Amino acid sequence: MTSRIPRHIKFGLIALAVGFVITFGLFVDVIGRIQSMVKEKEVEENPFTPPTPPLYARTDPPMQVKIFFPGMQSDFILSAEEQTIFRSSELTNRAKQILQKVLEGPKTAGLFASIPKDTKLQEIFIDDMGMAYVDFSNPLYANHPGGMANEQATVYSIVNSLTYNLPEIRRVKILIGGAERDTLAGHCLLLPLEMDLTITNVPPPQEQVAHAN
Amino acid sequence: MRRFTTLLLLAMLLAAGLIHTQFLSAADTDFPIYFENSTLTLKSQTVDRTTYLPLLDIVKHLGLAYTDATGVLTFSIQRQNSRLALTPGSAFISLNDQPILLQNPIRRENGQWLVPLDFLSQGLSKVAGIEFRYRPGDPRVFAGNANAVELAMNAQSLGPTTRLTLRAGSPLEAELQRDASQHRAVLVLRGKVIDPTRERLDYKDRLAQSIAFDDSDGVAKVVIGTTDEVRDVRVTTADESRVFFVDLIRDITTEAAPAAAATPASASTAVPAKPDATPAIGKLKVIVIDAGHGGIDTGSTNAGALEKDLTLALARHLRTALQSRLGASVVLTRDSDVALTGEARSEVANNNQAGIFVSLHVGYSSNKVDSGSSIFIMKADFTGGMPPEPAGGRLFLPWYMAYRTSQPASQALAAQLQQDLNQALPGWKFPVRSGPIGVLSSLTMPAVAIEFGNINNDVSVQTLKDPAFQTKLASTVAAAIERFSESRPSGGRGQ
Repeated sequence: MTSRIPRHIKFGLIALAVGFVITFGLFVDVIGRIQSMVKEKEVEENPFTPPTPPLYARTDPPMQVKIFFPGMQSDFILSAEEQTIFRSSELTNRAKQILQKVLEGPKTAGLFASIPKDTKLQEIFIDDMGMAYVDFSNPLYANHPGGMANEQATVYSIVNSLTYNLPEIRRVKILIGGAERDTLAGHCLLLPLEMDLTITNVPPPQEQVAHAN
Repeated sequence: MRRFTTLLLLAMLLAAGLIHTQFLSAADTDFPIYFENSTLTLKSQTVDRTTYLPLLDIVKHLGLAYTDATGVLTFSIQRQNSRLALTPGSAFISLNDQPILLQNPIRRENGQWLVPLDFLSQGLSKVAGIEFRYRPGDPRVFAGNANAVELAMNAQSLGPTTRLTLRAGSPLEAELQRDASQHRAVLVLRGKVIDPTRERLDYKDRLAQSIAFDDSDGVAKVVIGTTDEVRDVRVTTADESRVFFVDLIRDITTEAAPAAAATPASASTAVPAKPDATPAIGKLKVIVIDAGHGGIDTGSTNAGALEKDLTLALARHLRTALQSRLGASVVLTRDSDVALTGEARSEVANNNQAGIFVSLHVGYSSNKVDSGSSIFIMKADFTGGMPPEPAGGRLFLPWYMAYRTSQPASQALAAQLQQDLNQALPGWKFPVRSGPIGVLSSLTMPAVAIEFGNINNDVSVQTLKDPAFQTKLASTVAAAIERFSESRPSGGRGQ
């Protein structure tokens, strides 16, 4: 059988096979290099995280705050829970402590967590006009179970907890994954929002002060 | 083998023939050159996809001295000390013995000297001392100080009328000539030399077949090819004869068409696409039902029940109930499993000039025993910083504030729904809430969103899945809508 194939064809086939092997080797090598480059890039995107500065000092005085969570009563979407934070000198740090409490969820029975699991607070920035830009990670909308009232509960547990306890903050703009979204999960508009106590069983802060006096 | 060679030769010949046809000259077409005080209309020829003009006519019109030496096949033009010479078949022309290269060669056919358009700007302008301007592809040339007025054309369908809008840079005189037998309407434009931004409009509908600018005979006109359905053509002038509206009016006995055509101001106000979709005055004519979620957006889920399916089933029941009870035209934002944005849902209601918008949802409460139901209306002034004045006091509103135009009516509708639903469904609570709800924000009519039950509660899900219960819900909502529409004063907003 082999004797029938002319010699020059044989050589040609061998040369082709050798060429193919070399080319394939080069191809695999190039693919490997590209993959390693991509992997290196991923590593580069996560450089070591700088140590986060503490949100408060041990010497800071305590501060009573109301954290808003969805409750049992269906007439009111939100109820408040008393919690204590440190009155740190920086407004942003106080806001961060409040949002940490919102993310941690309620301690009282009968209240429910307002923020979907795995959600993280990424950044907060408060401008001179009293607008707080609060950036959460994607699970805030991706893991949200939905429902109009439930979505309103999530949005206003953030908005009310900040604006009720920190009068310096007048409006809250929620960002997700560093970007603006029209709505949280299809229902609630994420425009800059003011405090809304009509959906809670909590009196306005001024009345509370007047009552205490 | 021989047959193959023959076939190959034949194919080559055919290809050569096809290529050669490109060089064949096309039929003569009229081509105007606009001078400051006169217009010269020439017969242009298209050779090798290039427009050629007869040189002799231009030279004579300009009154230049020339010699046509047929013996040596040279044409020369003289003026003062300049001399321009050209020879056929050559793209080189000589100006005072300096060669100038044109993009296309000079031609001499049937005893006629033919020059490409760039000869005018590259060669002739230097001898004649006047400038020639043209746009490649346009069948006209402007010479010297001929001041051309730009003309823009646009066409749109306005229900029973098709409106062609012409905008000129300076005032023009227009005269309409209609030839119904030839299905043509011609608008002759006089007073200025016209330079159209487009030769023809790529527009066609049941009234207009073609719209094209034509000035081949030196007279500028817009030629509109019309159909049999056109009953009348009217021209309205606006903006001190700078804007002309040409309305093609359909041959139907409707009062809307002449009214739309008569006033030039109606250019900005679109005639409704559906003549019967007029705004509800006193009685509801169009109701838009929005089945929440859809497609990839399933909404809340529990135990195999998807919010998007429940809302669609409810919406269909409600459509039937409303149609039988009110005789109104009911439009669903979706009648299948498709995803829609909030804006798309609002558009359905706004474009159909709906009298009422109801968005259907299923509630979700983290608290399993909560009833979960709510009736939502838009929360007024949720962003703060806006004066709490009625919408009538503001000239313009951003779209997300369109809800302000019907806020009191939305409240009244919600109150009526609450009353009827609480009565019909004992044990279910329907609190009226207000919030920054996306789907309600840009609606210009009374609008509510209803959340039925708690999808986090298995019993609630089973109840909502029951067709008999869905029918009951639908008829309760329909009855509430009927009571609401009856209680409204004619044409008034709110109660």
